[in-house]
Amino acid sequence: MRKWHGITAVLVVIATVLGIVASACAGGGEKAAPPVATGPIIYKMGCPTPLSGPAAPWGQAGHDFYQKWIQLFNQAGGFKVGDTTYNVTFTEVDDENTPEGGAAAAKQLIYGDGCQAIVAYWSWGMPAVQAVTTPAKIPLLTRTGNEAVPMSEGGIYDPAKYPYTVFANPSHEQIISDFKAIAKAYPGRMIGIADSTLGKGPGWDVVDRTLDAAGIKYHHEWYTPAATDYTPYITKFKEAGCGVIYTAGDIGASFNIAKQRWDMGYKDIVCGVAGPCVDPSVYNAVVGYDASQGFIDQYFGIWDYKDTKIDPAIMAMAKQVNDDVAKDTGAPVVYTGWIGWMPSHMLILTQAMTKAGSTDPDAIMKAIQGGTFSTSTGTYTMSGAKTYGSPIVFGTPGALSQIKGDKEVYLSESPWTPLP
Amino acid sequence: MPPAGIWIDGLVQSSTYITMAFGMVLVFSILGILNWTHGQYYMLGAVIVYYGVTAAGVPFPISMLVTGLIIAGLGMLVKKVIIDRVSGDLYVGAVTLALIFFFEGLASMLFGMQDKGLANVMPGSMDFGSFSVSYQKIAVVGFTLVVMIAMYIVLNRTKVGLSIRAAAQEPRAASLYGVRVDRVSLIVMGIGCALAAWAGCIMGPVYSINPFIGRIPMIFSLLAIVIGGLGSLSGAIIGGLILGFLNSVMAYYISYYSEVVLFALVIILLLVRPQGLFGAALK
Repeated sequence: MRKWHGITAVLVVIATVLGIVASACAGGGEKAAPPVATGPIIYKMGCPTPLSGPAAPWGQAGHDFYQKWIQLFNQAGGFKVGDTTYNVTFTEVDDENTPEGGAAAAKQLIYGDGCQAIVAYWSWGMPAVQAVTTPAKIPLLTRTGNEAVPMSEGGIYDPAKYPYTVFANPSHEQIISDFKAIAKAYPGRMIGIADSTLGKGPGWDVVDRTLDAAGIKYHHEWYTPAATDYTPYITKFKEAGCGVIYTAGDIGASFNIAKQRWDMGYKDIVCGVAGPCVDPSVYNAVVGYDASQGFIDQYFGIWDYKDTKIDPAIMAMAKQVNDDVAKDTGAPVVYTGWIGWMPSHMLILTQAMTKAGSTDPDAIMKAIQGGTFSTSTGTYTMSGAKTYGSPIVFGTPGALSQIKGDKEVYLSESPWTPLP
Repeated sequence: MPPAGIWIDGLVQSSTYITMAFGMVLVFSILGILNWTHGQYYMLGAVIVYYGVTAAGVPFPISMLVTGLIIAGLGMLVKKVIIDRVSGDLYVGAVTLALIFFFEGLASMLFGMQDKGLANVMPGSMDFGSFSVSYQKIAVVGFTLVVMIAMYIVLNRTKVGLSIRAAAQEPRAASLYGVRVDRVSLIVMGIGCALAAWAGCIMGPVYSINPFIGRIPMIFSLLAIVIGGLGSLSGAIIGGLILGFLNSVMAYYISYYSEVVLFALVIILLLVRPQGLFGAALK
């Protein structure tokens, strides 16, 4: 028995040493190979994203669209830095929607795959990912959220410590715009805001203050992360006189809330979620056909926008991506959420590099601060110094759609405005 | 006083925990193990019945029956091939814990991770004036009543039930009287897993279905049998009712603090009465 223990130990050591030697050789090989200027230089971008676990459907939803977007972007000539043409690549690594998974994925992307920027990052673990990207001087384009509320506002974010973080999707501004768009579509209705305790934090104080100032009536209910039965919360919303229940981001919860409010007989309450619709047929199946009608989602079908101006070339490319993906998969595209993430971040980053005339992270950040950029969700000039303590906050409009039949149709829109 | 809808909701929640807990109690009584994979049999039940109804077009009740049989077979296979070959409660516990991730991963690969639903099975609701209750929820309560009656009859009026009770109380003596304890334990594993699967099936139209839906029902059914007393079916009923009603009523009054209070009450109960409400006193 002891002999086997010894043999096993020796085999493990040999395997480990061989692994280290092999990876060192591979890495060394890459370093030794001189760059061959046979075409455009590749600028590598990556994203830690949930590809497994409960959040995986949203991590996986954008994959085909992102790769097609990159392909079209490169075919259209990529981007220029001085006289040099660059093409881009985009790699996704599973982060299981956890901070530790996010940090590990960021390390893999930066040190394993050689990514020069992290974009479209939305998972649960921004501080952990920032801790990896900041020392490596890797621009991180991500969303805001409770993690982005500065210490002066009761949060944990210190902009001075994370000079390479760009808030390309301002979650709180967006949800405020959503509420304004809801108020526009359903004037006079009190909005019930449902969120899990995981989302409870100083960011909501900012949202509440803004809604108060805008005169929008609302009522909060916080449910536990383990909740599947929302009857008590729906009852409270009903008692508070809510005519709309808008769930902050948790699509599974929003399914159950929409279904259960219908079962409880509160058919006049409109339900929705602060997230893009992945597929209306899923809502019909999970929530029930009748109960899912009128369900509100965030909408990125930019060609339907009425109040937010988008560059026609970007819009055409987004449409082309949808057409190509539909052709490749043989099914009509019903997901538009991808447009608000990677393409938007990539456009900010590549335009910043063109403006800076450099791919150096410090030069990129200098170009981003105070610059104006045309993204897939509108044209924005950096703002946010007063709210996030950082000048590097972009905009996203609050544009909403509603499920009608088995389709997602434009409902209303409130263009982005910076937090007061 | 909470509105009537909250009490009905508590009854529906209790029903799920009770059906799940019955299976756990049976397995614990005979095999002496807590089957941590119980929640995944619940999940597989929901997933299989979903495909039975939507892909194969089999009517829901038949699909549910077949699903229970399939999961019963799977549970028996797991017992024969894995659990019986692992010795020691700790290692059996570790194996059933590992199976949680195995089954969730397998379900993710085979069925995908996107939410699925059977909302269109038994649609509609019964109107009570100020509130209504869906037929799906009424079916959950009805099914639990059927399970409770069936369990009572099987355990108290059949030879198999007699063997199960004998094997649970005194396995060595039972085997001396001709009870094949190994066979009984296999049957019990099958029944336990089938009950979990049926709970998943009946809840399929109520909630969304994905590979991870088994975790919370598993925790709550475990708590139900701990409150009621490990090994006691009547304890599982009382434990399930206490949990279901407390969960619903407290969420109404104190929102997200409900789980803190709920679990604190469970801890206090176990400090005062470690064997649970209906369990035999621990040594």
